[in-house]
Formats: sequence, structure tokens, C-alpha cells
Amino acid sequence: MRQMLKVTVNGYPWEGLVKSDQSLLDFLRDELGLTGAKKGCDGGECGACVVLLDGRAVNSCLIPVLDVNNCEVRTIEGLQDEQTNQLQDAFVSVGAVQCGFCTPGMIVAARALLAEVHNPGEEEIREAMVGHLCRCTGYTRIAAAIKLAASRINPETAGPER
Amino acid sequence: MDLIGRDIPLIDGKEKATGRMVFTADINRPGMLYGMVLRSPYPHARIVQIDDSRAWKQPGVRAIITGKNRQFPFYSVAGQKVLDEQLLATDKVHFIGDEVAVVAATDRDTAAEALRLIKVEYEQLPPVFDPLSAMADGVPLVHQSQASNIPYRMEFSRGDINEGFAKSEVIVEETFNVGHQYQGYLEPHAAVAECDISGRVTLWLPMQSPTLGRITYAAALGIPENKIRIVQMPIGGGFGGKLEYKLHALCALLAKETGQPVKMVNTRAEDFQAGLPRVPMQIKMKLGVRSDGTLAAKESEIIADSGAYVNYSHGILLSACHRHDNLYRLQNIHTKGYLVYTNKVPTGCFRGFGNPQVHFALESILDMAADRLGMDPAELRLRNATQTGDVTVHGWQVLSCGLSDCINQSTNGAGWQAKRLTEIKPDTKDQVEKKAGQEALQEARYAKGIGLACCLHVSGNRTFLPYFDGASCRITVNEQGMAIVFVGETDLGQGARTTFAQIAAHELGLPITDVMVTLVDTDINPHGLGTFGDRATTLGGNAVRLAAADARRQILAIAAEETGSTAEKLVINDGIITGEAGIRLSLAEIAQLALSQLAGGHICGQGVYIPPDVTAVHPDTKYGNISCSYPFVAQVAEVEVDRWTGRVKVNRIVAAHDVGKVINPLLANGQVDGAVAQGIGYTLMEDMGIANGKVSNKTFSDYNMPRITDMPEIKSILVESNDPNGPYGAKGLAEPALTPTAAAIANAIYNAVGVRITELPVTAEKVFRALKERFGCP
Repeated sequence: MRQMLKVTVNGYPWEGLVKSDQSLLDFLRDELGLTGAKKGCDGGECGACVVLLDGRAVNSCLIPVLDVNNCEVRTIEGLQDEQTNQLQDAFVSVGAVQCGFCTPGMIVAARALLAEVHNPGEEEIREAMVGHLCRCTGYTRIAAAIKLAASRINPETAGPER
Repeated sequence: MDLIGRDIPLIDGKEKATGRMVFTADINRPGMLYGMVLRSPYPHARIVQIDDSRAWKQPGVRAIITGKNRQFPFYSVAGQKVLDEQLLATDKVHFIGDEVAVVAATDRDTAAEALRLIKVEYEQLPPVFDPLSAMADGVPLVHQSQASNIPYRMEFSRGDINEGFAKSEVIVEETFNVGHQYQGYLEPHAAVAECDISGRVTLWLPMQSPTLGRITYAAALGIPENKIRIVQMPIGGGFGGKLEYKLHALCALLAKETGQPVKMVNTRAEDFQAGLPRVPMQIKMKLGVRSDGTLAAKESEIIADSGAYVNYSHGILLSACHRHDNLYRLQNIHTKGYLVYTNKVPTGCFRGFGNPQVHFALESILDMAADRLGMDPAELRLRNATQTGDVTVHGWQVLSCGLSDCINQSTNGAGWQAKRLTEIKPDTKDQVEKKAGQEALQEARYAKGIGLACCLHVSGNRTFLPYFDGASCRITVNEQGMAIVFVGETDLGQGARTTFAQIAAHELGLPITDVMVTLVDTDINPHGLGTFGDRATTLGGNAVRLAAADARRQILAIAAEETGSTAEKLVINDGIITGEAGIRLSLAEIAQLALSQLAGGHICGQGVYIPPDVTAVHPDTKYGNISCSYPFVAQVAEVEVDRWTGRVKVNRIVAAHDVGKVINPLLANGQVDGAVAQGIGYTLMEDMGIANGKVSNKTFSDYNMPRITDMPEIKSILVESNDPNGPYGAKGLAEPALTPTAAAIANAIYNAVGVRITELPVTAEKVFRALKERFGCP
């Protein structure tokens, strides 16, 4: 069954019929061709599909597409602001990226974290990223990358050890 | 320009971090269909009949193929001689998840609905699950075409174990059990295939070895190799799991059948139940040690559970049987190995290739012997450690060996002497509670321990494959002066493209931004067996180095002719060629000149690296120098054990790796961190929960891989032993970095609380039970 959906994705309005049983992830990937969000598990357990829904980081595989009616969705493709760029640069420069499959979801989640906490500490980062699986890096550099980006974005509040 | 030894971030890192990197599941081709697999719900059953008539009535279905309406040749992975697989089950299914039928339809939902409508009538057969029972006479055969459930067995001896044991002061004997481990790459298996009018199939695959894929899939499909082209896509994690995989060939089959492009992607549950996880093993080991700590004799029997098919498990068994014998100067050895079929998920390659399994046994039993001798385990290892220049008991020529350095540096780095306890404190909860104060209670409840384990690996080894197993590379310099590197080894995310670019830029005198490294395309790239066995940097890196040197010679010859100088007097630095009398030309200018000097030809450097003095092992005796270099590792684990619950927490891993020479510290340390994380998962957390042939833990919430909150501090120490065969002295790293972690943690647990766990994973329950058995507490 198809139903009407009205949504803003990456700043652009979209309106049309969607499969009512579709997930937001499948809608983004299959209908809009926004493949930056990855399908790692389709069960909300790996974080590779995380996007921003009205500014909140969500597992898009768990959201029925009709639930985002009149909402604003932002995917990795639509995040080109300074904070995101700093995160991306930091992830690459400290070696927090290996195969890259989990990285877009991590960047989106980290971007949401930095919007709330200017200079997150180790515990805040671990809490924010616990839903994200990475099998390549052993995670240590992911925390380091987020701290580095935060210190570059908000040098005035950054701790001395960062 | 010296780029070797520099921290250079991934050259494709930004593409990944922005979500712009296109993975296989992201591909869309015009008219593309979606393919899905119908899998067996039974571990062992005869297929009586298949009725697909209702499925065909589903609008949008374009193909349904079963083993009942098609003949499929028997095949296996490249070079493996027991041909026990077919693309789809013909008479029998062999495990829960075995491929029974494939469907192609206009979209995923239609394909899924068609699968539901295929009716398969099965007659269930008695299954075999336990490898030990499967070895007995008169049990049901997993494969009717085989004489027994043991497709491979091996036995070899060195020296005289009787004499060795007779001279031993202590003899320790133990049985170790290690289970399945799922690779857990974040990108599930995926394939896109398209067939042209001549019947030639192009496959876009996230695959570690396109070359081996082409060989294997041609055999599986019964078509010539030149009818298959494999284009490597970015690999979203491999770890050994992304070598040959049946889904790839099934996708090609559907593309041939329909004449339309087809995409297939495993669901995560399919990937768990029909992937190729680490080979479980039962390892019986008996070790004799003289009073001075000299290892005197070792006897082992290894039973490896292959699951339903052999795949690479015969090679993994061989590796488990004999590689670890070369770690120490041990001369008297007797080993038996059996590969056994069971009606369970087929197993395959996973980082370490049998070595993590066997090193868990060896490095645990060494600590047991040290304990009996009253000797420091580090001292015991140092007394026996293989050294540079040794020819080992199996004929390995060890041209560089930093094992002793690794042991010394990891133990010193961890504060080994100070932290090692000598007494076990078996206080019960009641006893502790009688003591005053919360502090004393906590102190007695949580016990800290420290443990050491070592390992080795091959790097650039002679495989059992009959093909050329060196590496080759071609580097063209285009008209704009950009170097494009074509090599047969793949990047799994570890950064091989970056390392190759670094080597090419270093040799050519170019900024690394002027070097591109292509993904492998079997129509374009030179021959290479791909990435496994720690071969990419050692072999591929040498080929890139040679090709770049060749391209450099060509560039300088053109520059010399243009400037009237001689090549020897010219240097290239940062893309600029300079020489005496103010000669100054950019590489881009030379590339333009080359067009006329070479009559339109390109500068094209070629490099072929043949690992010297390397042979396949002797088929019976398993003797022979199988690799051109051998990496060595020592890891120290520091743990905290909760005596009341058995819970183990790893506080720190100090990992010292002999990598020969560090080409890129940033990427090398990244390999250590990731491997240790997988090692911690293997040791303490990951269990596929296979019972009665069924994988119970087939989601990431049930199958417990380490998350960010599970990670301890990892202190990485890179030791440089400068291997004469490695490029700039470098040798492999990624596999041995996982191998010793399990034993290091198990030894640390013993050090903390005095119980020896001999079965992986080391769950809290096992530790709790062992504590209760040993001390009657808590």
C-alpha cells in the first residue's frame, strides 16, 4: 500500500507516495538515492544508518517512513557545515576511519553530540557512540577524533589535555 | 622525498567520511533486478521435490533457479581439491542455511514473497554435529560422495618426542576448545552482476581476491574464466570473510539467466547463518620442558570442525598444526590433525587463519609449564625464543626476528615484574565480609592479574595454490604527470591503497596527492592473488616499489634526453626534476614530452616481485620455508577479575609487534587496535550460540561484539627487525595482532585468581564455575 508523505530532506522539500511499510532508511537509499546511510543490520543494532531527524540522531532503519511526515531529515550528504567538516577531517587524520562503512553514521551521531555538548569528555563520547559498531578500529581513535574536532570547533572551552 | 615511516592518513578517508564512497549495495544499474536465496531450514535432509509454480505466478518474478531444474558442477574454492560444493543443493542440504533456490524479481519485496511461495519437500536425515562423533565409523555421512567425514588428515614428526619427554622435568597436558567466531564486518556480503550479449558476466564485488574469485566462480558456473570479469568494490570490512562466497556466483547465475543486472545483499541474519566463520577446534596438547626451561617435546592432536564444506579449512588446519612450532626452538614434535565435516555452517578464513586457535593452546600450556617449574613465563619464552638467522624445525628461514625484543618491550611497557603476583588469595565472600571495612571487601573481590602471550605468522607465504603467488604492479604516468598504480592486492579498509600510494610517491619523488591507486579490475590490473595471509604490504608493496623504480628510470631517461644531461645526475623531488646547470622540469612537463618521445606511448613502469627461497610445504612431511618473511608478536594483558561473579575486565593491552619496518605508523597502530578489539571479543564475548546445527545468535544484540564501552587502553609498541625481503624491511601485521590476545588474557586470569580456563569464549559463568571448583567459593 502506498501513502502520501511530505518531508524535508537535506533542506529540500519532498512530496509523494511511499510504501507504507517502508523504513526511513530504505526510503532514503532506494527512493532518493541517498546511500550515505548504510544498512549494516536493519535492526537498530549497528548505527551505520544514523541520520538526523529534526536534529536528533536516530537509527533510520527503525523509523517507519510515514513517521517522518512533516519532519526534517538530514543525512550525511546534507551535512556540509563547519562542524561536520571538522569531524570528518579529524576522523581521517587520527585514523578513526578504516573500511568506512560505519563512518557516515558515526559522523552524524558525533555531529549531534557536538550540537549538545561543546567539548564532550570520554564518558559522554562513549555513551553517545555505544550504539555504533565498528569492527576495524577498536574505537580508541573514534573518541580521539571527536575530542580533536571539538577542540578545534570550540577551542575556548577545550580542556588543556585535548 | 622520504615518505617511509610517516603518518599518512587514508588517501580515500574523506570519501568514506562524507558518505561518498560507493559500496556494492549502493549500486543501481538500469533495469536492475533483486536476487534472494532460499535457504535450508534443516541441518541434513534430502530434497524430495521443489514446487515453484505458485512463486512464478507472483507478478515481477523474472527467474527461479533450483538444483532440481539445473545441473551444477561440483567445485570448491580455488586450488582446494575436494570438490564438495554446488551452487544450489541438488539432492541433499548439508546445513541450516544451505542454498536451495534463487529468485530474481523486480524488487526486494517481490523476491521475498516469491521465496515464501516456493514449496520444498524435505525428508529429514540424521545429522552429525559433534566432530568427534562424526569421525567414528558408521555415522551418517555429510557428503555421500566421500568415504568418511574426514576430508583431510595429516600427521608429521620431527626429532624424537619419546626422548624429549624422557628428559623433561615437567610434562603438562591439556585439552583446549575454541568455538566459531563471526567476522562481523559491518558491510554484509553483497554482489551486483550483469551479463553481456556474449554471455560474459561482470561482477561488482567487495572481494579480497578478485583473481581467486574468477577462478572459483568459473568452476562453479561451468564457464571459462575469460567469461568472468570481477570489478572490486570498496570492502566494508573483510578480515578473511570476503574471499570466495557463493552469493557472488549465484548473482552471476541470475544475471546470465535474466539478461538483466541483478543485485544480491545478505541480510545480517543470513550473513550469520551462512557466512564462513572461524574454524572451531579441539586441541589436545602435551608439552615437556627440561628443568632449565628448555622446551623438550610437544605432542598435539587437532580436530577441526569444518562444518558442511571444506572451503579453506584444510589450509587453516595445516596452519594450526604447524606454524606455531616455529615460534620457539623446539626440536621434538609429533602432530596429528583432522578436518571433520559436520552438518553446521561451513567455516573459513578469519584473521589469523588457524593461528589464534592454536596459539590459545600453546601459549596457555607454556604458562602451565612455567607455573610447574616455578619460572617466570616471560623468562621461559625468552629462553626458547626463535632468533634472527634460525632455520626452524620445519625448515623456515627466519631472516628477521624481533620476538625477544617484543617480549622484553611488552613486559617492560606493562610493568610486568611489579604487577605479577606470586600468590593466589582464595578468600571466600564470608571470610572477606568478616574483615573490617568496605575497602578490604573490594580489594578481595576484585583481583588484578597480568599475562603474556606470543605468536608468529607468515607474511607473503607460498600458498597451496598452483598459481604465481608473488605480486605484480603496473604504474602509468598520465599526460598531467599523475601516477596511477595498478596492483592485484586489495584494500580491505586497512589502508593498502594508501601504503601503495606512499611507496609509489616515495620512489617516484611525487607528492602523494599525485598518486592514484585503482581498485582491482580483473580486465585491467596485473595478476595478484589479492589480500590474505599478511601478503599485501610485503608482496604487493615490493611490486609497487619495483614498478615505481621502473617508471622513474623511464621518466629520467626522457628528462636526460630533453636536457642533454644524464639520468644519474637528475633527481625528482616533490614532482620537480632538477639537475646541474639549473635544470628544472616538472613531472607534468616530462609526461607531455613522453607523448612525443614515445610516439604517443605512456610512461609505464612494471614491477614483478617473486619472494625468494620460498616453497610450498612438502605434502606429507609439511617441511619447507613457506614464507619470505615472518612477523612476531608479544602481548601483555592486564585484567581485573570479579571473584564473586567471574566477570573479567581487560584494563590494558600492551602489544609489541615486530613489523620489520614501520611504513606508516598511523595505519600500523590502527591495525593493532582493531585486531586487539577482535581478540578481546574472541576471548571474552563472542559466541554464535550454535546448538543442533542452528546459529542462535544471529543479530548484533545477541552476538556480542566489542563496543566502544568494552575497550581498554591499548599501548602499541612497534619493533623494527628490518627484514631483508620486506619492502624497506617491512613485514605483515594485521593477522598476528589478533592471535595472542586470547592466551594473554587467559594467562592474566590465571595470574589474578588461579584458575585456568581452557575453552573460548571465557564467559563469566566459566570463570565463576572454575573458581567454585578450585576454591569452593565464593
